[in-house]
This record gives sequence, C-alpha cells and structure tokens, in this order.
Amino acid sequence: MPKPTKPPTTKSRKRVTAKKQVTTGISTECLAAGFVRADLVFDGLDHSGASFEARIFINNPDADASTELTAQNRYAGRFHIFGHGGCFGDVGHCEVRGVPRPYDPRPAHPLTPMRKVVIATDALRREIKRSGGKELTLTIVPIVRSGTERCDYENVLKFDRVSVVTYA
Amino acid sequence: MANRLTLRQNVESIELTSGGLVALRDAIGKMQALSADDNRSWMYLAGFHGFPQFQCWHGGRIGLSQQALAYDLFLPWHRAYLLTMEHTMRDQNGTAALPWWDWTSPGSHRVGVPVAYSTRRIGKNPNPLASGPVPEVRSGRVPGLPASAGRNTTRSPGNPDDLPTADQVNSVLALTDFVDFSEQLQDIHDQVHGWTGGRNGDMGTIVFAGFDPIFWAHHCMIDRIWYLWQLRHGVQNVPPDYMNKPLAPFPLTVGDVLDIHRLGYEYAQASSSHD
Repeated sequence: MPKPTKPPTTKSRKRVTAKKQVTTGISTECLAAGFVRADLVFDGLDHSGASFEARIFINNPDADASTELTAQNRYAGRFHIFGHGGCFGDVGHCEVRGVPRPYDPRPAHPLTPMRKVVIATDALRREIKRSGGKELTLTIVPIVRSGTERCDYENVLKFDRVSVVTYA
Repeated sequence: MANRLTLRQNVESIELTSGGLVALRDAIGKMQALSADDNRSWMYLAGFHGFPQFQCWHGGRIGLSQQALAYDLFLPWHRAYLLTMEHTMRDQNGTAALPWWDWTSPGSHRVGVPVAYSTRRIGKNPNPLASGPVPEVRSGRVPGLPASAGRNTTRSPGNPDDLPTADQVNSVLALTDFVDFSEQLQDIHDQVHGWTGGRNGDMGTIVFAGFDPIFWAHHCMIDRIWYLWQLRHGVQNVPPDYMNKPLAPFPLTVGDVLDIHRLGYEYAQASSSHD
C-alpha cells in the first residue's frame, strides 16, 4: 500500500476534495446488441485508505460531487468502498505480497486490490443510444465518507482498469 | 428442536420487549469490562476484524494480474465471526442473542441508528450498545502514530434517508449467482459502514469497525439477507471450490456455515418488505 506522505489531520480534512477521474474513450462497437444486462467492472481498486462512495457519470466530464444523480446528468450508478483506514501496523504491514509461492496455503493479502461491479443496464442503453455508437467516457467522482488520520483523502480513488461487460 | 435454536430478532422488536435488550446489554457490558488480553473480552473478539489481527474477509482479492486467489469469503467469514461473538456473549448471559438492524425499515429511515444503540446512558450507567472500548496503541507499535490510551468508539451517522432501501435489497435478492449476489450485497454493506461511521467514526473503516457494537447488528442484517437469499436460491449454493475453504481463525469451513440451523440459530419472522 502506498504510504501517505503527509497524513492530513482531522482539521485539514475539511478542505480536502477527493480527486475525480475521467477515463479515456471506451469503444462500444463490440458490445452485444440488445443486451439484457450491462455492468461497469472496476478492477484493481485500492481499498487501503478511506471509505468512499464513487459516483459514475457517462460522457459528462464536468460532473463533480455537487452534480445531481439524474439521467439528465448521465448518472450511471455508484459503488462504495469500505476502506481499511490506513496502515496500523509496523513498516511493511500493508504492503501487498506478490504472487503466492507454491504450497503457501495463506489467502491473498487483505489489501489485494479488489473488484467492484456496478450494474448499469438502463444507463448504458440510454447513453449508447444517445452517443450514436461513439466512444463512452466515464467520470468517476469519489466522495469520502469516513477515514482515519492515516488516510490520504485527496487520492482515495485508485484503480487499474474499468470495463463494460454485457450479457446477451 | 426449534426451541433449542437461538432466535435472532429485529432490533426494533427487542426494543419493545425489555428482556432481550437487557440480556444483550448485560452480555456485552460484561465483555466490555474485561481486558483486551482476556480472550473472552470485547476487545479481543473485535480485534479479529481489524486492528490488531486483521483476519476479516472483504472483496474478492482479485487484482488486475488475476494472480491473487479469486474467491470471496465475505459472507461465510462474517457468519462464522457472528457465531463466535454470539457464543462468547452467551457465556456471559445465556439468553443473549445478536439482533439485526434493518436499515431499510421506515424506523431506520426516520431515526437512523436504532434507539437501543444510540441512547447514551441506561440509568446512571453508559449504554454498552452505544459505544465499545478500543485497546490502547502502545508506544512505538505503529510508526508515526502517537501512542494512545484506550478509548471508546464514536459515530457520526449521515442522513437517515441515505440508508439503503428495501428496493435495493430486493434487487440483490433477485440475483441468482452467489458471487454476483455477494458482490452486490457487499456494496450495500460498504455503504452502511461509511454512513454509520461518517467523518472519523469507527464504523467507517475496517481497522476499528468491529469495536462498535452496531457493527454486530449491521452484520446480523447482512447475514439474514444471505439466509433469505439461500431460502430462494439454495442453502448449498456456493461455487464448489468454496466448500472446503477455511474461515480462519475460526474452526470452520465454508461448507460448515451454509446451514444456519446446523449452526444452532434462526431468524425471527419479521414484517419487512424483503422477507
């Protein structure tokens, strides 16, 4: 787990806004026509720090924490992270182990990045139609709900990849 | 046989009948009075989840590389954890049982945290359901973190209207695949943790959540929803490779915890929109 360089104090947290992320374009060409379900799948999500809600908007790069969660604003759904709360162990305690050794029976490190699946069928149908088959971008707006003095509130949203998965 | 099962009830029900609530307070109060080094104590049991033992399961532990183990013991691990806590409570008071907090109920959407868990004092004494003890952080134990004396948990809950709804739970109950169901239920679970902890409250992070007594009522609700899902979709409905996974540190596997009747407890019938 990356260690926060300067853990914000409770007082300073009031001024910290978690940084949102806007993805590059996601092609919709290969999506199954007439899908019955469509998911936004986030892989490699960091959950080592604060707890937060992540609101997802499609083709709305200006969305922020004050944007209403409406179809007009192209809101697609949200996920929640119940964060670890920062490191409360000795040096290296929260560093995720690499590939398990053969014969190592222990489960993966608790801070192994996780997956979140947001079922967004109606929103994806609507935005694919609205965009006329062009690429979709996602704006993910994190809103911190809870944390400790060991959390980096500004950079709470970290993930490796987001995919659109459809079911015919 | 049925009368030998422990009956878990809705918090709102036991608030109306003093017996269950008195037993719950008595058991938890006695556990909270024990030192963190005593393996019957609140702090010892709560410490399995986050600080200092970090044994809990959340999420599938699947990185982008797919190198990690791709399974998720969130539901069975917490079922074993609840069972262990309930038995430890009953060692202190044989009639105590864990209640569930139905955060979808009209009452919860009006008052938020149930009155039984938010009332600060019972007579002249602190209410053991309002807060729980957290062990001290000894000097030098956590780099960069000052040593702190033992303290009690706090909460800063959000707007009651922001709690999950019965519709959300019903959508999750309709999912037929266990992994799909578990992922979506866990997201609701995550939402309630953040809502209850708020700002710097202990329920809001894995590290300290287990020390807050409302944690156990919240997880009892999650376990009950899993039970309701099992009634619809099958008690044994987990991926076959889950069955023999151990639920450390508890002496149980996933297969051992699928049938709650075999574990010796039952959920009361309740008038909610997702029975």
